[in-house]
Amino acid sequence: MNTTRVPAAHILVVEDDPHLAAGVMENLRADGYEVSAAGDGEAALAWLGTHGCALIVLDVMLPGADGFAVCRTLREQGNSTPVLFLTARGDPADRVRGLEAGGDDYLAKPFHLAEFLLRVRAILRRWEWYRSATSTTAVLRFGGNEVDFRAFRARSWNGDAQELTEKEAMILKVLAEHAGEIVSREDLLERVWGYDVFPSTRTVDNFILRLRKRFEKDPASPRHFLTVWGVGYRFLSEGAP
Amino acid sequence: MRSMRVVQLTALALVAVSAVQVGWWLVDQHNYTAERVHAARVAYTEQLAAAQGLLESGTASTRVEELLPAITVHDGRAALSPQVAALLTSEQRRRDTQYAWEGAFFLLALAVCIAVIVRALRAEARVHEDQDSFLALVSHQFKTPLASLQLSLETLALRAPPPEAAGRLIDRMLADLARMELMVTQILESARLERGRADFKAEPVQLATAVGRVIGQMEERARAEQVSIASDIAPGLYVVSDALALDVVVRNVLENALTAVRSAGGGRIALSARAQNNEVELSVQDSGVGFAPAEASRLFEKFTRLHAAAGGAYGTGLGLFIVRRLMELAQGRVGAHSDGPGKGARLTLTWPGGWQPASPGGGSLAAPEARP
Repeated sequence: MNTTRVPAAHILVVEDDPHLAAGVMENLRADGYEVSAAGDGEAALAWLGTHGCALIVLDVMLPGADGFAVCRTLREQGNSTPVLFLTARGDPADRVRGLEAGGDDYLAKPFHLAEFLLRVRAILRRWEWYRSATSTTAVLRFGGNEVDFRAFRARSWNGDAQELTEKEAMILKVLAEHAGEIVSREDLLERVWGYDVFPSTRTVDNFILRLRKRFEKDPASPRHFLTVWGVGYRFLSEGAP
Repeated sequence: MRSMRVVQLTALALVAVSAVQVGWWLVDQHNYTAERVHAARVAYTEQLAAAQGLLESGTASTRVEELLPAITVHDGRAALSPQVAALLTSEQRRRDTQYAWEGAFFLLALAVCIAVIVRALRAEARVHEDQDSFLALVSHQFKTPLASLQLSLETLALRAPPPEAAGRLIDRMLADLARMELMVTQILESARLERGRADFKAEPVQLATAVGRVIGQMEERARAEQVSIASDIAPGLYVVSDALALDVVVRNVLENALTAVRSAGGGRIALSARAQNNEVELSVQDSGVGFAPAEASRLFEKFTRLHAAAGGAYGTGLGLFIVRRLMELAQGRVGAHSDGPGKGARLTLTWPGGWQPASPGGGSLAAPEARP
């Protein structure tokens, strides 16, 4: 696979099983990543208190606080480092729990090494794009709304302060980059989530609904986030006439 | 299993209907008695009216009393005789009391039946739940070594590592396989124990010999992991247990201690035993990673793996659970103590009834060492 790799991106592996942790770490190192390890949630949170990293590979069934709780704690602390969950339970309900806890992706044990590495690359690539895209234009203004992509915060037209999730911010960024153009649901999925994390493109629709609720004066007849029937969405910063 | 449940539910419904019927029967009997007494009172009232009529038509009071025995005449006025009035009241009370006793007895019997059936249904539901969570936990426990195994194999396939690294991966895979095999053994063992005391023999076993045999099998491994094992058990100490079960118990406790000490980077394990209060206590002290004192009670539960955080554990979470179950079957108990993480731990196994071998030469029992 020929991909643009982030040079020496730092990855934290949180896994209590020593064999699995060693195997994951060796493979990440072999792919050129810098890797640190934590045996449980507390150790991970302590490490993250003093270090930063590009990605956290987080086991769900950890001794003490489980992976979901660790991820929620991180998000509450305002840490938006992407999280890839590893779990022995692969049922859809558990998957949803992981994504709700603020995870970026979710892999059930036992997993394929190639798929694992692919997902790691995909997450890092998405975030690298987001970082570079927001370094030039960190603030977006449209229709009285103001969005700060770096802080994941926004002020809507009526003065309300908005806390954006990473996914909302990413969708907004993709749409804003292509303002006035039609962006398909599939493109949005690919850019924001990677390939098959979510089973359906309806997820995108739900996120658009949330963005409308935050930033449209009348979410029922949107002027900025327009639906292009059967294709996808178009973002207009000036607002539809 | 399912048809059993149908039978139980049907029985429960029948008993419940019976209880309602008994209640209805009670009310019915009470009403019936009241009705009968009322009818009798009406009949006596008619007699009274007749007696009054006779008296007024000039019949002698003695003649009236003769014709109508339930009537007495007093000062020219007919009245119901006090005995008859008392009899009516007491008859009604007697019948009500009788029904109350009989009804209460039946209701009590039916309530007992309902309680028994509901208990059985509850117990069954709990067993189902336990089995479900047991299965869920077991499959989860298997997925981690499975994932590790797959990862190692795919690493070999994907990266074609140099022989040294490949050897390390193969060692890891073999260890994962051994771990899964141990899990299968322990799961079968615990499933067998769940069913009860199937083939548990109670016989006197010399503790020092049993412990010595297990230590002998583990010594080499312990040395390689920088762990020293010392045992100080008087040869005169015997416990009453299944010999095989005792072996499993000692092995699992030692495995646990070994894991704890290995996780701490090496150290020592000391076994000692003493007889007191008609009990024999085996104590296993280790200098391992220890645990928070509050976690002592969780230690012997299924799938508790306290050492995992130390980063050196491959436990299945079944070892000490099996120990507890086997000790319960031997009428004994287990205990654990630690001053805290990093401060080592002490596990104690206590058997009741200090069986003493006959004095040397007495030979009331064959030498336990001779047992296979």
